[in-house]
Amino acid sequence: MPFPPAIARAIALSLLDPDEVERLRNLHFDDAGHGYDPFGMHPAFVALGLALAGPLYDRYFRVESRGHEHIPRSGPAVLAGNHSGNLPFDGAMVWVDVLRHTDPPRVPRPAADHFVPALPWVGTFFARGGVVGGSRGNARALLESGAMLMIFPEGTPGIIKPWKERYQLRRFTVGHAEMAIRHRAPIVPFAVVGAEEQMPQLFASKLLGRPFGIPAVPIPATPIPLPVRYHIRYGEPIRAHDEHPPEDADDPEVVRRVADQVRDAVAALVERGLRERRGIFR
Amino acid sequence: MKGAHILVTGAASTLGEALIRSLLADSRVQHVLAVTGRPVEEVCFDEPDRVTVIQVDLRRSRRVHDMLFGPARDLGVDVVVHLAMHHGAFREGSGVHAYNVEATRSIIALSERHPTIRRLVVRSDAAVYQVQRDLPVLISEDHPLNMGGSAPQWVRDRVEADVTACTRMGLSPLQIVVLRMAEILAPGTGSQLFDYLESIVCLRPAGYDPMVNLLTLDDAVVALQKAIHSDAVGVFNVPGADTLPLSACIRKWGRIGVPIPGAWMTPLYRVRRRVTGHDFRYGMNRRRFHYSGVLDGTRAREVLGYVPSHPVDWPADAPAEDE
Repeated sequence: MPFPPAIARAIALSLLDPDEVERLRNLHFDDAGHGYDPFGMHPAFVALGLALAGPLYDRYFRVESRGHEHIPRSGPAVLAGNHSGNLPFDGAMVWVDVLRHTDPPRVPRPAADHFVPALPWVGTFFARGGVVGGSRGNARALLESGAMLMIFPEGTPGIIKPWKERYQLRRFTVGHAEMAIRHRAPIVPFAVVGAEEQMPQLFASKLLGRPFGIPAVPIPATPIPLPVRYHIRYGEPIRAHDEHPPEDADDPEVVRRVADQVRDAVAALVERGLRERRGIFR
Repeated sequence: MKGAHILVTGAASTLGEALIRSLLADSRVQHVLAVTGRPVEEVCFDEPDRVTVIQVDLRRSRRVHDMLFGPARDLGVDVVVHLAMHHGAFREGSGVHAYNVEATRSIIALSERHPTIRRLVVRSDAAVYQVQRDLPVLISEDHPLNMGGSAPQWVRDRVEADVTACTRMGLSPLQIVVLRMAEILAPGTGSQLFDYLESIVCLRPAGYDPMVNLLTLDDAVVALQKAIHSDAVGVFNVPGADTLPLSACIRKWGRIGVPIPGAWMTPLYRVRRRVTGHDFRYGMNRRRFHYSGVLDGTRAREVLGYVPSHPVDWPADAPAEDE
């Protein structure tokens, strides 16, 4: 990072509510010896991330969320939800939401597409806040250490889907189901409603994405996200590991079935969120 | 193990000397055969009655043969610790390859039919692992190796020597252990990062700040000792106690980190080498200056009982809250 954690902490302290600062002192993470975990996360940058994303959460997207009781307070877990909006504000808002609504605070570890760690500054800042590259090895290491992964099983095709296909979930990849069965972790489905409308997309250019190693660059109709209202819903955990022994993680049919079960649960939460909201901006 | 007789190649290197001193302090070790490429009179240890220093050109398989079936057999060597490896990042050619790879191959082949040698410990390097954006940050022993043909000989030789040892595991009566060590931040160990940190101003690619893991000489010696006295075989990662971002590493070493566009790094470090004679080769380190790669020491902990416990003595260490 261009600045050390002491500066990140000072900025965070000046922006965050004292109660929030006090709460963040209880943040549990796997310190590898110099205040960072092996993936590069640092509590000072988590606090800075919260201080920067907090106003977006509170005032811009005015996030309304329900179902926090389903988020495990400890132990390995997988949060799996829908992805949308052309820019990953949905991930950032869920990250803030989980951090604020768990006690002691838990940092969900978003698994990002492989191009993210390669993005200068962005990749580093994300890593300091807990984002990891979406490789199987990273997921394994985190779940084994008892962390909570945040996965968008639709991947990049989900976030760059065109306007006319909003809220139509893409096919879920199966990695999250396999990991959850193998590492005995509950899968908590979640839905983000509102992000689909934040940046209506004109088109997605594969050509522009090539130099950056990104599958496609979405060209939105608006230069910045619209102040839509986010609604986040968490569903009851899917405890696939209660029904399946770890060896079933190698059974393609089982993991596909569990991934489809998660997708159905997310789709139901999306439906519920759409029903419950009173409009795109409300 | 009672009264072990241990042969150490690369005995005059920083790591070799540290290991031999530690072996001489170990009551389980009866005698050490120190093999070096340097003249014998340049290498001396305390307790000369427990250590024999011999000069051998490891590039020549006949010399290796005569050493193993001569002094080593006469002493009844039962464990060989192979540390010899060229350190210079710019040293290339068949002679270097013979020293780095063919010597390893000869030692393995000859040890397999040796009457007294039962165990071989090969020092390998974290540089054998591929580091790239789509690979895990935490590197376990099954992580992809850096087999790219475009890799410099320094890397290719290390991978080849490592794989040469690995391919004989389980196929020979010899107990083979490969220790893939994190970078030892000490002079004379071939550490690219140590050489990099010798400048007051350390340039790094702007926008990237990868996590690095560093090993100390003390922990490297502990890992080798555990490998020598264990019956375990296989490949083990040997991480160090320090895992931190590159920028923090620069700061704690008392240097000034200056982020610059990545494209300028190679030419600037090439100029630095020509002017100052330093050995740091940016092209070889480019990926790990962008993407994190931290050795996962779980297997070494569970099987060898190795836990890194000697952190780097940072010259410009700051209080924890200001890190």
